[in-house]
Amino acid sequence: MKKEGNARDQYEDKIDNLKAEDFEKVIQEFRKRIHYDFAAWLNTCAHCGLCADACHYYLTYKDPESIPGYKLNLVTKVFKKHFGDTASKAVSAWIGVEELNKKVIREWADSLFGRCSLCGRCAINCTMGINIPYIIRAARGAMAAVDLVPPGLQSTVNTAIEKGNNMGITKEDWLETIEWLEDELRQEVNDPQAELPLDKKGAELLYTINPREAQFFPMSILAAGKIFYAAGESWTFSSDYYDVTNYGLYSGDDHVSGVMSKRLVETLRELECKKLILTECGHGFNSNRWEAPEWLSMKYGFDVRSILQVVADYIQKGRIKVDPSLNKKVMTLHDPCNLVRLGGIVEEQRYILRNVASHFVEMTPNREKNYCCGGGGGQLAMTRFAKRRIEVGKLKADQIRKTGAEIVVAPCHNCIDQLLELNKHYKLGVEIKTVCEVVADALVIKKKKQD
Amino acid sequence: MLRYGIILSFFITVIYLFFLIIRTFSFGKKSLYAESQGDVKKGIIYAFGQGMMPWEKESAKKHLITYFAGIFYHFGIFSAAFYVISIIIHFYIGDLIVNLIRALVFIGILCGIGLLVKRIILPYMRKISTPDDFIANILVDVFLVLAFIDSYNLELRNVFLAAVIIMLLYIPLGKIRHCFFFFYSRVIFGMFYGRRGVFPQSQSRRY
Repeated sequence: MKKEGNARDQYEDKIDNLKAEDFEKVIQEFRKRIHYDFAAWLNTCAHCGLCADACHYYLTYKDPESIPGYKLNLVTKVFKKHFGDTASKAVSAWIGVEELNKKVIREWADSLFGRCSLCGRCAINCTMGINIPYIIRAARGAMAAVDLVPPGLQSTVNTAIEKGNNMGITKEDWLETIEWLEDELRQEVNDPQAELPLDKKGAELLYTINPREAQFFPMSILAAGKIFYAAGESWTFSSDYYDVTNYGLYSGDDHVSGVMSKRLVETLRELECKKLILTECGHGFNSNRWEAPEWLSMKYGFDVRSILQVVADYIQKGRIKVDPSLNKKVMTLHDPCNLVRLGGIVEEQRYILRNVASHFVEMTPNREKNYCCGGGGGQLAMTRFAKRRIEVGKLKADQIRKTGAEIVVAPCHNCIDQLLELNKHYKLGVEIKTVCEVVADALVIKKKKQD
Repeated sequence: MLRYGIILSFFITVIYLFFLIIRTFSFGKKSLYAESQGDVKKGIIYAFGQGMMPWEKESAKKHLITYFAGIFYHFGIFSAAFYVISIIIHFYIGDLIVNLIRALVFIGILCGIGLLVKRIILPYMRKISTPDDFIANILVDVFLVLAFIDSYNLELRNVFLAAVIIMLLYIPLGKIRHCFFFFYSRVIFGMFYGRRGVFPQSQSRRY
């Protein structure tokens, strides 16, 4: 790890000051996160090395430390030392078993946090089918137990826990934002009755956002509001808990992850809504759709859907009318890893773009095979690894450039942040938009009948 | 006597491998609460079929030589294993089958040695390797070479059978345990992606 200021030094100090009981705690916390599937994966790797080219870190640096199998082995060797079977222990020197110590923790910090965006591309390319990012997340979670999550990532988690959203937006600011966006909406659709509803009891949909939208990209909130308006949807925001993000997915801390997701569940129940609708946020989707019920050990009993599924249904059922000629520029689509490869939302965004854009071109590779932009896995929050994040993003920048697109549509606000940086750094000269924004641009809104 | 040694070592190995599989459940079973949006069975079928094809899997497509070397290495191993079984149970196999086994074992030897050379000469492969990776490969290669020789000349039969015992007993110790865990992990892979509707891709082609 390269020096990047005081925060990093304090982090190094923490590692230097680890005591025997801390290592024991990491091991026990890791044990808690292992189930039969993890135990199987930790016994399976044959070190074939075929995963190497699947990883954007390895493709960028060509260093062995970036090979997913190498990163997996950092965890496997500790697992085998502490939880291995008798046969493994008998030949420990041959199979590369190692005690958890400061050196290993340093490697974990550098590789598991700093050389992995938990994108899962290695897993689908693994000969054996080992879900490497989930094992890496488990090891991250074990490090979280001794406060060894890199500072930027941990502070994002802390802010979300303490303030209710990861940007620390006050309720007053949130309500003000909604108020002026509502004015904007009324002007745009030329209807003084149009609204961005807040805390509307019994609404069909509870819509959540990424707080970055409220802070930096309010037009994407407006776009969603415009679509709901056009569809005549019954929906609402919550004035308290509206944050779809869950950086606990990245820190590996299941407890705080559960706390964040539970807030949305409780809000939905308090407001008596029927469905939880997640904004365009890859990790927010994976967290709340797939992981949260496991963190909370509960069946939800209500639908959790991506806004993309909702919008695709609107188009398919004719609830909104769109005109692709209103979007003339060449568009390409970025597939967020957590939404597509890990979330199973693959075709909805394509169906939408085919309907709202005149000229849509795919990146190569695409869908579940797409490259990570480099912003996932908490990388955007970990400034110590910022240089790497931009460097590994070159792969995505090259992918975009090859399409010749003028607009990159990315259904994920974390990806958008990274793409904006890549756009600037690699001089791509493209616009970055959400799917809802391009849908809103193509909307044909009928004038409401005067009563 | 060595025949009984093989039978004994085979059972020791299989029992230990089953023990290892069962042992994974001691780590706890995970209940799944999130509602499925795909089909687990289709996911598992995908994991063992299309999901291993080079046109579907980039790691295979980019490394076709290694991919096919791996496949033919394993064909060679299974052929040699079949040959050993025929010796143990005194099952007569005709010349045609013997010749086929010879061919597959010979190709397997070339592939095994090729993979070993790759592991030795490529720095990144050395970096991710442990001594077990080399030992396992050499043990299996020796097994194949002796099976090939034995198919022509019975003079080394005892050496061959002793090598089989050593290899069998080594299986649960190191990476060769993947002969069991491979199937286990691929099933879990299929369950994970099948349930989420990621694979097979046709599941999510509703629009």
